[in-house]
Amino acid sequence: MKMKLFSLILLFALLAGCAAPTQAPSATEAPAATEAPAATEAPAVTEAPAATEAPAASTEPIKIGGTYNLTGAMASLDVPASKGSKLAVKEINAAGGVLGRQIDYILYDGKTDSATNGNIATQLVTSDKVVAIVGNTDSDSALAIGPIAQKAGIPYLTAGATSPKLPDQVGDFMFLAPFGDNVQAAAGAEFMWNKLSCKTSWLFWDKGAEYTTLLAKYWRERYEELGGKIVLEDTYTQGDTDFSAQITRLKAQNPMPDCLYVASLQASDAGAIAKQLRDAGITLPMVGGDGYDGPELVGVGGSGAENVYFTTHALISADKGTDKMKAFIKAYNAEYGNDPESAFAALGYDAIYLMADAIKRAGSTDPKAIRDALAATSGFEGVTGTVTYQPGIRVPQKSVTIIAIVNGQYTLGAEVTPEKVPAP
Amino acid sequence: MTQTKKSPTNIQNWITPLFLIISSLLVVTGIKLYAPYNPYVERVIVVLGINIILVVALNLSNGYTGVFSLGHVGFMAIGAYVSSILSLAIETKATNLPDLPAWLAHVQLGFIPSLLIAGFLAAIIAFLIGIPLMRLSGHYVSVATLGFLVIVHIVLINWTQFTRGARTFSGVIQYTNIWWVYFWIVLTIYLVWRIVHSPYGRALIAVREDSIAAQSMGINILRSRLLAFVISAFLTAIGGGLMAHYLTSFSPATFYFTATFNYIIMLVVGGLGSISGSILGTTLVTFLSEILRNAELGMQIGHLKIPAVYGLSQIILSISFVLIVILRRKGLMGDREIDFTWLKRVFPNSPQT
Repeated sequence: MKMKLFSLILLFALLAGCAAPTQAPSATEAPAATEAPAATEAPAVTEAPAATEAPAASTEPIKIGGTYNLTGAMASLDVPASKGSKLAVKEINAAGGVLGRQIDYILYDGKTDSATNGNIATQLVTSDKVVAIVGNTDSDSALAIGPIAQKAGIPYLTAGATSPKLPDQVGDFMFLAPFGDNVQAAAGAEFMWNKLSCKTSWLFWDKGAEYTTLLAKYWRERYEELGGKIVLEDTYTQGDTDFSAQITRLKAQNPMPDCLYVASLQASDAGAIAKQLRDAGITLPMVGGDGYDGPELVGVGGSGAENVYFTTHALISADKGTDKMKAFIKAYNAEYGNDPESAFAALGYDAIYLMADAIKRAGSTDPKAIRDALAATSGFEGVTGTVTYQPGIRVPQKSVTIIAIVNGQYTLGAEVTPEKVPAP
Repeated sequence: MTQTKKSPTNIQNWITPLFLIISSLLVVTGIKLYAPYNPYVERVIVVLGINIILVVALNLSNGYTGVFSLGHVGFMAIGAYVSSILSLAIETKATNLPDLPAWLAHVQLGFIPSLLIAGFLAAIIAFLIGIPLMRLSGHYVSVATLGFLVIVHIVLINWTQFTRGARTFSGVIQYTNIWWVYFWIVLTIYLVWRIVHSPYGRALIAVREDSIAAQSMGINILRSRLLAFVISAFLTAIGGGLMAHYLTSFSPATFYFTATFNYIIMLVVGGLGSISGSILGTTLVTFLSEILRNAELGMQIGHLKIPAVYGLSQIILSISFVLIVILRRKGLMGDREIDFTWLKRVFPNSPQT
């Protein structure tokens, strides 16, 4: 009896919980996409829709799946990216949609968990019957979702996962919206060699993540090729907060290296490392990848973040950015009441426009036709740069933005396309 | 805690495990019939089945012996990595694990040999670490096994030659299907049931309840705990192997604290020391998280539009667990099994004893 009573209570609690969301505050809460649009201008897509477009047989919305880890360890990157994606969908729908149809962006939370990511991918391709999937900023999740989309023949465009190996690991339906890590590592190495005149360097990387492992590997390859010398290499593991042992080893170097290359997964790690380095009296330039791109770099690093440079997708700045960037920031601000948290917001935004552009050029919602159109993308202008897929290569060629921290502000260090890129 | 078990009658000895096995399989089959062409539902069910195997195995150690291990996910990781390395196609090995030693690089085993080797390896490791660890009890053994989990994690991250380090291990062939999961569920439930209801199982429970009294009765504490730990590790590694061959891609982060806590929750919600409880707890937690995850998307009830709130499912689940622990301190089933003694009252003439 007691158990029955208890089950009832539990059931009641659950129902009450289900009805409660209106009260629960949440950063990821988004107004419905069908609401009146904010006064924003939609960036133009590369090609005008084909004039010969067949009369829309269906006015049903086009379903695009969304897979982001809105909770868990990846949330700091995925939440801004998902907000960018949702903003793009809203703009496209306000401007009349694609092929005369609205986009229904079905967004699920992968919870930074492989099993859940597999579930949501299966759900999207089999229950929701989406025509394409756009999402994710890490390769763990991309590798959980990619094979399922590949098997179902649904194009999957990752908004922010930067491992250049992904498309080959998954198959011909997998595309990257950002540049690959080999490109940004090469850009970082060339920037250090040419602009910062670093002949020798310290290499410090997080061996707890695929991204940092690859970044360090590609960077080493390009830097040594340029003639640079790595005087000391050290590692840490995700979750470490004290780097004094490694910093002491660095301080014991004589002579000291000219620069520091630090591959970190999260902006908070990079901030903490910068702070502890500066506290130990090491003020050498510190360079890293797009993992640095978040408010925590300066938030945690404080004044230690001075003389820090990193390669990323775009400079999020309302006064220093490109026109497209300014329009994006304005729209983002109107929608969410704050500036984009990181370049990943812009990547999420671009990924949706890139996919919408492919659907428009495909002239149909057949996943195979969309894949072919996506693979043929050439000169698509997004907020984070121009996307062109070379035949057979599903990682775009994009220019790399190098950001310098000056007085706690992000400033444009350089906009570069590396001369030579290590093979993925 | 000191409730003495009624010695089950012969018929009961068979009915309950049979009932548990059949009901586990029916949950699976029923939903498969209800949604025959729904791969999503099938996916949830397969993961549920694997979770049942893992939690029942965990219960053997944590529930029946009172050795509250927090390191079982380490055995799961061993099972996943070892079986995947063995079953990986030779071409995939060449690209994903180029630095494998030659004797391993040119070997591709079938699913079952890979699983069994992984299971036995985990059992051997459990035996070796069990010799010192099973002498501990209470919180000490939890902390020590947690240490084992951390060691496994660090080895996985650093042994790049075999594990790709922290990078995602991908390209595993998807061997696991609903039928393999059936098979292992039946085997696991049967095995654990037989162990627990054997004289050896009684000895385990006696050690859990009062180790000094048990020792004075001539029970070898170390030996009884160690055997349970080793069998439990074997089954956990099998579960890990099944999971690896279902997800097809995973990384060391898949087998760490989050997973540990998930399984502990399933176990505690169901009830420590009850196989029925493990099955019930796992089913409840797995289904609830899936249902709630779908509810997160928001919904339209009449004119009331509920917006999407992500992360809500974890909050509701956590509140439910708090309620369960407050209202039923020993989990849903406590240390009891679903029993059929009422049959005796309904059919007083049925053959018994």
